[in-house]
Amino acid sequence: MRMVDGMIAIRFKLNGDDRSISVAPNTNLADILRDEFGLTGTKIGCDQGVCGACTVLADGVPIASCTTFAWQCDGRVLLSIEGLAQDGKLDPLQEAFKTHSAFQCGYCTPGMILLAKALLDSNPAPDRHVIKDWMQSNICRCTGYQVIVEAIEHAARRRHEAGR
Amino acid sequence: MRDLASIGAAGPRVDADLKITGAARYTTDFTLPRMLHAKVLRSPHAHARITSIDTARARALPGVGAVIARDDLKGLSSYGYFIKDQPIVALDKVRYIGDMVAAVAAESEEIAVRALRLIEVRYEPLATVATIEQALDPSAPALFETPASGIVPAYGPGASAVRDPAKNICYRFEYTTGDSANFADADHVFEDEFRFSRMQHYHLEPFVALARVEGGMIEVWSCCQNPFPLRKELARVFNHSEQNIRVHVPFIGAGYGAKNNCKAEPIAILLAKLAGRPVRFCMTQEENFLTQSQHAAILRFKTGVSSEGRLIARQSRIWLDAGAYSDASPLVAEKAGYRSNGPYRWQYVDNRCDCVMTNTTPAGPFRGFGNTQAGWASESQIDMIARRLGLDPVEMRKRNLLKLGEPYVPGESSIDSDMIEGLDLVCREIGYGRGERRRGHGIGVAIGFKDSGGVNKPAQAQVKATTTGGIILNCGAIEIGQGIQTALTRVAAEIFAAPVSRVSYSPVDTDNTPFDQGTNAGSGIVVMGKAIEMASRDCVRQVLDFAAGALKCRPQGLRLEDWSVIKDNQAHSLAPLIMREYGGTGFEFVGRGYFKAPTDHNAPLEAKCMSWEIGWGAVEVEVDEETGRVVLKKLVVSGDAGRAIHKDVCRGQDEGAAIMAVGQALFETMVYDGAELVNIAAAKYRVPLANDLPEILRTITQEQGHGPGPFGSKPTGESGILPVMPAIANAIEDAVGVRITSLPITPEKVLAALKAKQ
Repeated sequence: MRMVDGMIAIRFKLNGDDRSISVAPNTNLADILRDEFGLTGTKIGCDQGVCGACTVLADGVPIASCTTFAWQCDGRVLLSIEGLAQDGKLDPLQEAFKTHSAFQCGYCTPGMILLAKALLDSNPAPDRHVIKDWMQSNICRCTGYQVIVEAIEHAARRRHEAGR
Repeated sequence: MRDLASIGAAGPRVDADLKITGAARYTTDFTLPRMLHAKVLRSPHAHARITSIDTARARALPGVGAVIARDDLKGLSSYGYFIKDQPIVALDKVRYIGDMVAAVAAESEEIAVRALRLIEVRYEPLATVATIEQALDPSAPALFETPASGIVPAYGPGASAVRDPAKNICYRFEYTTGDSANFADADHVFEDEFRFSRMQHYHLEPFVALARVEGGMIEVWSCCQNPFPLRKELARVFNHSEQNIRVHVPFIGAGYGAKNNCKAEPIAILLAKLAGRPVRFCMTQEENFLTQSQHAAILRFKTGVSSEGRLIARQSRIWLDAGAYSDASPLVAEKAGYRSNGPYRWQYVDNRCDCVMTNTTPAGPFRGFGNTQAGWASESQIDMIARRLGLDPVEMRKRNLLKLGEPYVPGESSIDSDMIEGLDLVCREIGYGRGERRRGHGIGVAIGFKDSGGVNKPAQAQVKATTTGGIILNCGAIEIGQGIQTALTRVAAEIFAAPVSRVSYSPVDTDNTPFDQGTNAGSGIVVMGKAIEMASRDCVRQVLDFAAGALKCRPQGLRLEDWSVIKDNQAHSLAPLIMREYGGTGFEFVGRGYFKAPTDHNAPLEAKCMSWEIGWGAVEVEVDEETGRVVLKKLVVSGDAGRAIHKDVCRGQDEGAAIMAVGQALFETMVYDGAELVNIAAAKYRVPLANDLPEILRTITQEQGHGPGPFGSKPTGESGILPVMPAIANAIEDAVGVRITSLPITPEKVLAALKAKQ
């Protein structure tokens, strides 16, 4: 990282592509994703790192992009909701959220799906209590969570069957 | 019921692919070239007179495009539903902490915030009224020295309302029927007081608007669920002709009632007008908390009952905390007052509901709309009375429930669910009256009850069929999460005998979308649903008339099937027939639909209620007698969809509402220290999380088949919140013999009640 005229040049991998950009030190990741890269699937809800609508994965770890400085992502591998489907094929979690209607307004959904992906990538067969505990870091005001938990259980089974 | 292909079928919601891939666009996602960003200066005082405002330094800051303060409002009007009391920014006074005083549009939000700091405002603080009790105190200051302009709508038999009946009461609604002498016939008369807490809606998408004013045209992208009433209000506020105002509403990131009328829009529009550039005003979550909330309430219910538990007479007195501006409070009061009877039969009813102005965040529509408050008191008190009389609370309810087909009150529509059937269902599911009693465990039951479908609201719709059989719905029902696009798409698909994939749903904008009163009050399926049904049938009729001409036969024997016309068991593909008739270019058939419940001067609200939304709830709790902690072992919630058009959507509405109610019941509340909101926004305000789910949660969608909507459907979505709070309070009394009458039911309150009982 180097600073030129108050701007920091950073590089990261975003949804599979190498990106480089100059950012102000106080610019947060969510704004970069939305305003610079047009990836508006990353939603800003509380803007305080609490609600989780802005969740993206950095090196596979869920982070609140609204309270992460963009420069903190230098050299990291980022995944936003737009990068989850591969070659037009939905991720098993996206499929499960679709078939279970595990969303309503949809504002929390990208964050929920990415949060769940991080869980299943690290723990492929979580039980219901583990899912509830993990998912409590994001807020859904619409669904009451139970369908989200069911969708994640379903996706875990599907991933297991697919040998992933 | 005949076999239906689309109604009730499995399959994803029509908005699924957009929402799971991040492609769904909300108002927050829209931008325009040269767009400026707005920020608002908010009052630090709960109640103060503004003695001076100096915006000169803010206006001079580089990067600032426009500034507004009270002097910039000349010729503009204030807004509100019945009472037009809220100015775009404060005029003479500020009335709550967070009241808007000035606004800036600048090249970035950062510059706008810097400019706000340069605005100098001098205040002369006034005494504040933070609560209902303080506002009603004779020595309290008045929030409004002179009443704002406004209206009282026409009401029918038994219903009435007045403006400003007393200081700090902006609206009073009353409903009475029967003879007050009936109280004398009661063997027992019970008077109880209840307190209702106040939640914030906590929609994740903030209040947001993007406005551009060019060539005399106001264009605004908004997250408002009622675009046509918003257009009307903006026309009045800006003294601007309706045809030159265009409101676009994309997907809404939820609202639960809040996304109504003017919120971010007037600021964005006025700044855009002054700056000559588009302006985006996106509130922070803190600002959401300072813009709209639920109504806190004090409720005094007096109920006369026979020794056998027959309900005879009720008098309800409700005071809603309306906050600093009236917003939708008069409408909420109307519904709280009108529905205080609950789902029961009475000889006499005398309900009164007041909107009390306080120096706090303005309260407005919130899922349940007045019945959350009234139902909390009523379903708590019914249970208390049964226990006092030594009666079984469920049996006592059954003895008094209105029957399927029985009018709610004289002149009103009939109940369109069998409420005993639903009550038996949730009792069975929770194991009511079965099993051994365990110490600290209790079961509670309640029935949530409200009218649904709105009152006196019109909806128009248009359904087009293209040459190749594409079906395009065009109507004002807004997708706010409830699944209305999915429901209406299926209604049309069913009528066209077409797959859902052939139906699309047009974006809503007030220039091109047929008129509609709005997406509220569970009206989507029973009002707009009927308009879409009618428009679809109109369109199909036109297609069959055309086919009859082309095939030289009468239309009566023809039917549609996946864009072929079936005549004598032979399918004729429509596209070639249409191309031949219309010169090889093609054609579109345009069906139109309109629905409104007829105006009825014999109905208390001037039109009969469309439908009745019933929420049955049963809960098993475990109360820790040492800590006062309440654990939900099992929660059963059930609504009657009449006919479920999409089962996941119906379940989702009831289940989401029920968990919202769990928060209200046990912990979620806006906490005020005087007139200052203490737990503002995410880091301090606690909403239900995934691990707040009850150990067992069962959501049962009934399909009783009596609904007035398409294919027997009924509204759902609000009823799920209603029974949960009283059912939990009832279960706690069942468990440990103490009655909590104020929300939320915190461990402290339970423990204090247990100590007091000893």
